[in-house]
Amino acid sequence: MTALLTRIGKAVGKVVGTLYQAGRDAVDTTIKNVIPFIAFIAFVIGVILETGVGEALANGLSGLASSLGGLLLLSIVIGLPVLSPLLGPGAVIAQIIGVLLGTEIGQGDLDPSLALPALWAINPQVGCDFIPVGLALGEAEPETVEVGVPAVLFSRMITGPLAVVIGWVFSAGLYA
Amino acid sequence: MFDALAAAAEEFIGWFQRGAEVFTGLVVGIIPLLIVLLTAVNALIALIGPERVNKFGEWAGREGFIYTPIRYLIWPVISVFVLTNPMAYTNGQFLPEKYKPAFYDSAVSFVHPPLGIFPHVNPGEFFVWGGILAGIDALGLSPTPLAVRYLITGLIVIYIRGLVTEWMTRIMWGRQTAESAA
Repeated sequence: MTALLTRIGKAVGKVVGTLYQAGRDAVDTTIKNVIPFIAFIAFVIGVILETGVGEALANGLSGLASSLGGLLLLSIVIGLPVLSPLLGPGAVIAQIIGVLLGTEIGQGDLDPSLALPALWAINPQVGCDFIPVGLALGEAEPETVEVGVPAVLFSRMITGPLAVVIGWVFSAGLYA
Repeated sequence: MFDALAAAAEEFIGWFQRGAEVFTGLVVGIIPLLIVLLTAVNALIALIGPERVNKFGEWAGREGFIYTPIRYLIWPVISVFVLTNPMAYTNGQFLPEKYKPAFYDSAVSFVHPPLGIFPHVNPGEFFVWGGILAGIDALGLSPTPLAVRYLITGLIVIYIRGLVTEWMTRIMWGRQTAESAA
């Protein structure tokens, strides 16, 4: 009887402990990674909105983001093999353009039905800064890294704009 | 003179007040749900145990086109879901060298599309999705249809990226060997 009780107690304790640890990890990540980024974004957006830079920037961006052609152009430029590794780190560029476009959508200047191709257009460079490290994490040989870096970069020139087209096709009927 | 100074000061503090409004909006609108979701998925993964996942990887590296959906769709999805960014890329180790760049391309392209439903995969880069999300929220529309479509198109795109990069790697490898032979 006591053995059974001990076993139940241990099992419950393990589950509760795991859940508690999961909560702690979640709060840690939020405080360490998410809130600092929100603070940074809030500052940038505040200045952009108040100084009027936002309007100029938004006009340029929404001109680009308001049509499929513009989004394709955006994805082609961001996905250029020379630019993509520079624009990749921390997805900072993708996040800033994302927030700017989101603000435009929220103000009604940009049609929400284009949100899906826009999500793909701001992100053809994802991970392009990280290819050697990512491959090293997968225990790749140096020769593989030498071949893999240009292979991924060139492949993105095709799949970056293609993803925008796929996003556009799949946004049929979205927020219509 | 003092009026001008006061006006300048007001303008200056106005920037930050607007920033503070944006900050409150993002924290109240996004953080609570994010924390609860993160907790649930973290617990689930801890209970399953990442070591059970590894066996699957060895199976994914086989030759033949029918294994490509396993290599560039199922394996990257499991890796990103369980190990999250950036540890997901370690799962490339179970694949032959010639497939590693393509696997990396697939996996790294999947660290944002699930953010609308499973933000635990990459909370540090949440605003790739969260920026657009804030705009949809501001219009009073439900973000779920967009989140689902982002996830589905993500699956399609990572599979295509895997195939294209595998092909590109083969071309580059041929050129590399030809150069070193010459």
